[in-house]
Amino acid sequence: MTEVNSEDPVIAAWHRRPLSSRVGSRSFRRRLIIATYTGWLVFAGCVKFLSYGPLRPPWLFLVLIGGNLIVQAAWVVRRTIISTPALVDAELDERLIQSRNAAFRTAFKIFAIAALISWLLAIEAVQAQPNNQGLLNSFILFMAVGLLATTLPTFIVAWREPDPAEPELSAR
Amino acid sequence: MAPSIQNRIGVLRAERGLSRQQLADAVGINYQTVGYLERGDYNPSLELAFRIAEYFGLPLEAVFSRQPFAPMSSQLYGKEESA
Repeated sequence: MTEVNSEDPVIAAWHRRPLSSRVGSRSFRRRLIIATYTGWLVFAGCVKFLSYGPLRPPWLFLVLIGGNLIVQAAWVVRRTIISTPALVDAELDERLIQSRNAAFRTAFKIFAIAALISWLLAIEAVQAQPNNQGLLNSFILFMAVGLLATTLPTFIVAWREPDPAEPELSAR
Repeated sequence: MAPSIQNRIGVLRAERGLSRQQLADAVGINYQTVGYLERGDYNPSLELAFRIAEYFGLPLEAVFSRQPFAPMSSQLYGKEESA
């Protein structure tokens, strides 16, 4: 194993970067994205399960909104190149601007299809169950689409961005 | 997929003892972009290519090429690299 010289300014600079601004390996980021969406689905399932118990809307609506805000805050409101879609042009170089624009294009394609399907499902959910359950089902769909709208560009950048360039030991 | 542009950024940077961050700051790009340029994961715009070449004080064709660069030894000493 290569011994890392902590006196090396490049290595020191690398280690000084806060955890939130490190890029991380692509496989790690992809696992994190899958875990985030899976976690949200489990969370939405729990909300649905709770709706059959004592907890009723509007509390469940607030729980869902809270869950969405946590995911969005964890992923989107960071000052790192993975959160490139949230940064302005002045903070990005030409590669990152290209990466951001491509991410928005792909995100729109996915979002448009997801929104259309969810819209039809939400109408069906309210018509099939014209009570609180139907309303909750359509609200879960609404929150899922909201989550996609806000996180997809960031997730696409995180999914596509190559592995980071390793810090070099030889540079002075 | 766009054909990869060959470059000597890594060699020139090592020759001058520059870190990726230092080169990135000098030409106004993200330090990760320097790594991707060196690895051939990203082809620079003409404007960025000129900025990098000007920073190293070399003509564009000395830093970037559409063909693989010949080994330094053969360029310096006119010898073909033996297998």
